[in-house]
Amino acid sequence: MTPTEIGVLVLALGGVFFAVVAAVGLVRLPDLYTRAHSTSKSETLGAVLALAAVALAFGDDLSTVKAVLLLVFMFLTNPTAAHAIARAASEQGIEPWTTEDES
Amino acid sequence: MAKLDTRKEMFYTGWSIFQSRTNGCNARATGTGDTRWIPVTGSRILVPVSESGTLRNTVAYAVEQALEHARESGTGAVHFVYPVSERVTLEGPTAEFEQAHTLLDRVAVWAEEDLGDGAESVTVETGLVGTQEYLFSPGDYAEVLVEYARDNDLEIAVFDPGFNPIGTTPLLPPLEAEVREAGLEVSEAPVQRERRSSLLVQRGTVGQFLALFGVSFLFYLLLAGSVKPFELATGAITATVVAVALWGVSLTGPVDPVRTVRQFGRLLVYVPYLLWQIVIANLQVAYVVLHPDLPIDPEIVEFDAAVWSSLPVTTLANSITLTPGTLTVDVSRRHFTVHTLTVDSREDLFGGSLERAVRFVFYGLAAARIPSPVERRTEEDDPS
Repeated sequence: MTPTEIGVLVLALGGVFFAVVAAVGLVRLPDLYTRAHSTSKSETLGAVLALAAVALAFGDDLSTVKAVLLLVFMFLTNPTAAHAIARAASEQGIEPWTTEDES
Repeated sequence: MAKLDTRKEMFYTGWSIFQSRTNGCNARATGTGDTRWIPVTGSRILVPVSESGTLRNTVAYAVEQALEHARESGTGAVHFVYPVSERVTLEGPTAEFEQAHTLLDRVAVWAEEDLGDGAESVTVETGLVGTQEYLFSPGDYAEVLVEYARDNDLEIAVFDPGFNPIGTTPLLPPLEAEVREAGLEVSEAPVQRERRSSLLVQRGTVGQFLALFGVSFLFYLLLAGSVKPFELATGAITATVVAVALWGVSLTGPVDPVRTVRQFGRLLVYVPYLLWQIVIANLQVAYVVLHPDLPIDPEIVEFDAAVWSSLPVTTLANSITLTPGTLTVDVSRRHFTVHTLTVDSREDLFGGSLERAVRFVFYGLAAARIPSPVERRTEEDDPS
């Protein structure tokens, strides 16, 4: 394996790992807000790592530039969407889960 | 504390210079006219304060103006005064009095926070006015304010658009008129409340048009990946359409190429830092999520960030959401409501490293030294 291939593999594996963490978090966490954490961030990093793997695999190609641009858009849109959801929930009066609710 | 010391440092130069200048030329020049003077053109500023939602921004604006003019003239002063509507009686301080003092203390802390390194050149004072009379009409308020301004050589009055000590009746327009008539320069702080009523579509300038056209054109060529005549032609057409359609919407301020390039350069420093933060914090959250006991302790926290204007606030809000463990729920001007997943993430948030980095991007290195939310909070808890 060439160093590039190893790099691509590591990045892709990292992407898969964080995507799995996001999925696990979505199931395990107790309420909307905490789930939004998991889906908005671990998910972003997962997608970003996967896209980075794509960029690396393409090398000097123009597709690299496009992959990087996609990456930028993910960074801009993902938190905005998470924020919109959380804000909507907050305006609906949904109370966040706290450790006291556990019993 | 420092704000008490500044009370003694008075500069009596401003008024005399002002007078000799106006005496020297035509007498008509003394009239400050009917036009609203924005931006402020002097360095000695009077700011009447009352409890209002826009007060924080007004303080920031007044201090900023004073700093700017102090850079040219050497000195500046901002006096924050609270007009007390009741006369001070022998029975001791009333509830309004207490309120006024707490408010002024808060304003002093804010002003110092905003002054930063400029504390030597600009003096900040707070005080009560109108303690010897009952204030009813705008005229009464104007009288005590003008009197105070005369006594302290203040040339300009900056009004908070939310300033309304009477409560129900709109006081500001007649008050401004009265103060202006008395010879002071009057300006209203351009705070959020004003902006909310402005239209989404504004009249664009040629500079904005060209900037938008250029960026669109370059972006098109980047995606096309070549500079053949066909791409150049279609790119130019597309960029024109984009620029014509959106030049009044996308850019809200005038384009300053040097500042934009500088900010962009600092942004390039910020992005790797943010990425690194994201990776670290993601690993922490992955640990929490995969831990059998799910050790989370969610809580919603609120704080005022030391960033101003919409773009930096948006950047900070998005950065907070991107950094795992913290999720921006709501932002109102500079007031952030953040949902935090763990204790660690809360501490990181109040440590203020992200906030600092965002300030560095938009305002440069000097602004990064503003204290973190934790330090600011201790300062506010300790008003003595």
